Amino acid sequence: MADLSFPLITAAVGLPLIAAAVAFSNDSRARLAGIIGAAGATLCSAKILLEVNAAPGLRLAEPWAFGLFTADSLNATFLLLYSLLTLGIVILAPRRDTSARITGATLLVLAATLSAYGADNLIVLGAAWVLSAVPFIVGPFTGTWRPRAGLAASCLALVAAIGIIAQSAQTAGDLEPFSLSSLQGHNYGGSAAFALLLIAIVFRKGIFPAHAWIEDAAEAGPVLPVCLFINGHLGGFLLARVVIPDFPLVSLGAFPILSDLALLTALYAAIRAVAETRARRILALLVLSQSACILAGLESATQEGITGALVHIIVVSVATTGLFSVLRLMEVRFGRTFTADHYLGLGEYTPRLAVFFVVCGLALVGLPGTLGFCSEDLLIHGTLSSHPQIGLLLPVATAMNAVSLFRLFSKLFLGKPRGSIQGITDALPRERWVLASIVVFIVAAGLMPSQIVTLRTNAAQAISRLW
Amino acid sequence: MLLLAVVGAPGAVFALFSLLWLLGWTPPERLLTRVTSVVYLLATAAVGWLAWSLHASGQTAIAVSLGDWFVVHEYTFPLALLADHLSLPFLALTVILVGLIGHFSATYLHRDPGFERFYILLHLFAFGALVIFSAGSFDLVIVGWEMVGITSVLLISFFKTRQGPVQGALHVFVVYRACDIGIITAAYLMHHFAHTSSFVDGMPHLTSGDATIVGLFLLLSAAGKSAQVPFSGWLPNAMEGPTPSSAIFYGAISIHAGAYLLLRSQSILLESTTASVAVIIIGTLTAIHGTFVGRTCADAKTSLAYAALAQLGVVFVEIGLGLTWLPVLHILGHAMVRTLQFLRAPSMLHDYHQVHAAAGGHLGKTGQHYDSYLPEPVRIWLYRMALDRGHLDTILENGFIQPLLQLSKGLARLDRIGLSSDKTTVDKPPNLPVVLRAEEGVSNG
Repeated sequence: MADLSFPLITAAVGLPLIAAAVAFSNDSRARLAGIIGAAGATLCSAKILLEVNAAPGLRLAEPWAFGLFTADSLNATFLLLYSLLTLGIVILAPRRDTSARITGATLLVLAATLSAYGADNLIVLGAAWVLSAVPFIVGPFTGTWRPRAGLAASCLALVAAIGIIAQSAQTAGDLEPFSLSSLQGHNYGGSAAFALLLIAIVFRKGIFPAHAWIEDAAEAGPVLPVCLFINGHLGGFLLARVVIPDFPLVSLGAFPILSDLALLTALYAAIRAVAETRARRILALLVLSQSACILAGLESATQEGITGALVHIIVVSVATTGLFSVLRLMEVRFGRTFTADHYLGLGEYTPRLAVFFVVCGLALVGLPGTLGFCSEDLLIHGTLSSHPQIGLLLPVATAMNAVSLFRLFSKLFLGKPRGSIQGITDALPRERWVLASIVVFIVAAGLMPSQIVTLRTNAAQAISRLW
Repeated sequence: MLLLAVVGAPGAVFALFSLLWLLGWTPPERLLTRVTSVVYLLATAAVGWLAWSLHASGQTAIAVSLGDWFVVHEYTFPLALLADHLSLPFLALTVILVGLIGHFSATYLHRDPGFERFYILLHLFAFGALVIFSAGSFDLVIVGWEMVGITSVLLISFFKTRQGPVQGALHVFVVYRACDIGIITAAYLMHHFAHTSSFVDGMPHLTSGDATIVGLFLLLSAAGKSAQVPFSGWLPNAMEGPTPSSAIFYGAISIHAGAYLLLRSQSILLESTTASVAVIIIGTLTAIHGTFVGRTCADAKTSLAYAALAQLGVVFVEIGLGLTWLPVLHILGHAMVRTLQFLRAPSMLHDYHQVHAAAGGHLGKTGQHYDSYLPEPVRIWLYRMALDRGHLDTILENGFIQPLLQLSKGLARLDRIGLSSDKTTVDKPPNLPVVLRAEEGVSNG
């Protein structure tokens, strides 16, 4: 195993942690600390990606890190993506969402999620998984009981699974019972660990019937941190990093059922969104539906499906960050949450935010010219190849999501504005540049997707080789 | 590369102007119109040159391969453009008419608040249409297909402060997205059955059974895009957009894209009697539907739209019968005439008076219609059916929209049973368009 040139993952995790400490202690400098912490993590992640690309097919260990972290083609992209998303959110978040507690907790979630991505150790992975959920269970992002229960269930299931796997590995005489690298195909923990891991994934990703907490979190919780949390996609990552390597044959046998469940979730959420009127819930349902498509792609066990899923993670993360951000900016401007009951005509006041919203939304549902088209194309080919009958649900769900999204866009931004509202500004420069970057990325990557697809294909091949 | 330049130029103009607008700069009207004129004049000349060089070289097609857009394992997305005897007339039609519409709209939409939005979307539409007509694979057709669809929807809601256009846009979007499932699935099936969706080297051969499945999926999309029965209900809603966009979309290019798709895949249709007969039946029903409904329409644009629909039904029948050149000529002539009629629609009364003045008085009635030979109860029934546009919207709403909304609300209740902190209800239905709405009792104002 080759080494990274520097403990870059530790640095990517440590910088946000230091920034979080600064943010917690200094309310007036919280945003600045957040920007510096997230930017530092972004730079480290970018360097990791460069080094991983220079050594294709290899897993790079960190020097002086006791085998806790490694980087490879699977996690390097996630590290950079998540750092960038956090940086974008910290920059564009409205002032009221950048208090010391919120920014500090956001940075904590960033550090924990990056730790989970980089972990080469089950304890680190489990601790990071739990830590990333802590602000939503007992911390400043606490919402209603259902999100807390869902997240707690996923944490407990994972911790229990890790315990069983480690115990089993120790019994089998494995010298490194907590190492992820030594899991390859050993079936440590047997069916109990496999089942617990799946429970953790189902709860974390919000797969039917454990999906409703995501809606509740988006509706009652702080929307930007919730968006960031959901876009960690740690459920899918756990599947690729632990479940498939440890249980290659069992998972191959169970995947048709899981894939069907994921596709049903995609359709379920899509149908739910059709009659939903609350804007936050509609977006949450769309995220649920599209995230379920990711899981269906991963479980299709085809190169196209897995690559499509890995690309779609990028699309869903970036596009939904854009959507939730615009929604939050609108809520702050108009001092209310929105429902899709009436045509509000807000586009009259905020035409650029409207365009950002519609472009991100259409990317999410696969408009050609955006990266979403490419990922949807691969996902549809992958799922239809592995499940010809039920795979047809994917284009159906995507079509329904598109309708729900366009309906929400129409209700929010089109129509005649009610009364005259003075002093509403369109996107501020810092918001405009972040959102324009998102749009440019989505479109540029959509027009020239080969680089990203190749990058993700390497990761998909690494996963496929496990079977 | 000339073909690539023709297709890419509108896309580049769209990308440039929209990005600059997003960053805070609004292009002046004169710049937009001049750039539009220059681009489409050059594009028209380029398409003419392509046609001439194709004729002079004696080749049947010019193919431009840009490699693969992306490759995963054995799956490739080839970027290949094709200009042959079928696509060149459509390419020419597109660049000429978009150029004309651009020129016309400079005056028609002068000082309209959405002036730059219209032109930016017009370029995106032209790009999408040119991609459809020059695509060398079904995968690439989808790219243009979706772009034309979304542009169409955004232009229908051009007058965004009025409720009618916004509701109409949503209705059209619903039908488009539902029918797009057809072409997406057909493209996948082409990969599955023939291991490619490319038709640069001729359409891949399929067995009769495979051709039936692919043909029927393609027909679904073609029928949606060309407003064929039973999807015709969106057409009157689409008339809510500005007249120039109605002309180019529903008189000329977009509405004929479905027919082009069937012409392009005609060899697949000919392999399957079932698919061919389905095309003929749908075309015949649409022609009859368009004829009847068009005669009860109260406004000029909708009346023209149904007249276009009747002609398009005939085009579908021609395609289903295996004819090639007749439908192409029919489409070209029809698109030109209908565009002119749409553009003149706002001046119809003026034109009418001019004709009367030229004739030296009121023109006489054209005579009895054939329907006067029918018994009165039948005529009344037919009139009612035509007035309600063949009850298509009602059937769609009762058979699909209402059950879907009920299911959605049922699932929402299921989500809430004993588990949720969500105490609000979703009993109030969403404000879908008039034709799609459930038991909506609230005003949308």
